[in-house]
Amino acid sequence: MVRFEGVEVRYGGKAILQNVSFDIGEGEKVVFYGKSGSGKTTILTTILGAHIPSRGRLYFDGRVVNAKNIIDVRRAVSYIGQEPVLGAERIIDAIFLPYSFKVHRATVPSEETITGLLELLHLSRDILNKDAAVVSGGEKQRVAIVRELLQNKELFLVDELTSALDRESKGAVLDLFRNSGYTLISVSHDPDWYKICTRFMKVEGGRIVLSSDHPEL
Amino acid sequence: METMDISLFSMIIIYGLLAIPVALSLFFKLGNVRAIGVAVLRMTGQLAVMGFYLDFMFRLQNAWVNFGWVILMIAIANFTVNKNAGLKTKRFYGVIFTGMTVGSISVLAVFVFVAVRPEPLYDARYLIPISGMIIGNCMRANVISLERFYSSIKKNEKEYLTYLLMGATLREATSPYLREAIKPALAPTIATMTTLGLVSLPGMMTGQILGGSSPMVAIKYQIAVMIAIFTGIIISCIINIYLSTRIAFNEYQVLKRDLFRGK
Repeated sequence: MVRFEGVEVRYGGKAILQNVSFDIGEGEKVVFYGKSGSGKTTILTTILGAHIPSRGRLYFDGRVVNAKNIIDVRRAVSYIGQEPVLGAERIIDAIFLPYSFKVHRATVPSEETITGLLELLHLSRDILNKDAAVVSGGEKQRVAIVRELLQNKELFLVDELTSALDRESKGAVLDLFRNSGYTLISVSHDPDWYKICTRFMKVEGGRIVLSSDHPEL
Repeated sequence: METMDISLFSMIIIYGLLAIPVALSLFFKLGNVRAIGVAVLRMTGQLAVMGFYLDFMFRLQNAWVNFGWVILMIAIANFTVNKNAGLKTKRFYGVIFTGMTVGSISVLAVFVFVAVRPEPLYDARYLIPISGMIIGNCMRANVISLERFYSSIKKNEKEYLTYLLMGATLREATSPYLREAIKPALAPTIATMTTLGLVSLPGMMTGQILGGSSPMVAIKYQIAVMIAIFTGIIISCIINIYLSTRIAFNEYQVLKRDLFRGK
């Protein structure tokens, strides 16, 4: 589904990713781990076209990613950052934000679907009328997950998704991804998150130094 | 009716009025006596030069010279827009020149060639001051709109990327910032139109009345000029934002930060 072939990404003259290669298949649940600043998040944002590789190639669904098809890649991927940007003043407007763009206008979700997903992630329906500025970090993360789930995408790129969640909400999020067929490409330091992952890649100095099907002890 | 000239002696008396602000500045230690001096000298020098060349152009009455002058004004305004909006002139000059030219020339053409129709059509007495007003106002508005547009995208880059990730096209993802940028660019002109005639008598109207025009003729010109300025501003601001996005973003729709001055 996503393949890096000797990818190098430079920023301000410095190589942030060097010779990164991997191949992630459909349904895999991958986690990148390593020290902060090692380049983990850059791997995710490179898939999303926030950086253009200075060397190497990036494939998505067998096609080389380029300027012409990057919009299709973005439309096929759900991304939830460490501090999700809701992009609207009220939660309800944040949930409906994607449907203000032409590509999603015909697929506006029903209220029942939204309420069902909110419940699934232990969020009350009342949150919809709340101001985005007053909700907690954990609620914001779950709202962002609900918004992405509503778009029915198959690939999730998530960055420290469980970092702001309490025990109960974390359990709900972990169950959601564990029991799904979603392909998951994640960045995390959370041992609980590792339990739902099937592949572990250690990133150091912009390189992948270890790839294994079990977490490093 | 001819405007009454101000004699040299009277001008000296007018300059003498400056003794009051200078004295007050010294008394309150405002520390701006030098700045006042420089400003008065520059104003006198610049306006004297302008008086001479306008006088020359009015007598010459040459279509090429007049239109060339309009283009020169746009070219100079363009440098100001690029510099003050934080854009690297080398990359954006052509784009901003297009927006400024289309915005100002289109309304200027309607104003001068369709509404006023002077004889000849390129009469410098109409073409030069009217285009000066339109271009000057477009310049100020474009500085605001371009600066605001790019600074808010830079400030809210995560939010902008979120829109792209939701499947927005470049145009859709930049729309909120376009709205945020155009509103403050139009606000001063809207405020001026709202209070025109209540708070102050506009400069152009005052000039025409002093020049001997009837107040009714003067207000028609003032209304026409305000509408032309307002229309020119919105056309040039939107064209400049749209055209500049073609070079300000890379092929993956990410802002190229090296095209901006400063950080």
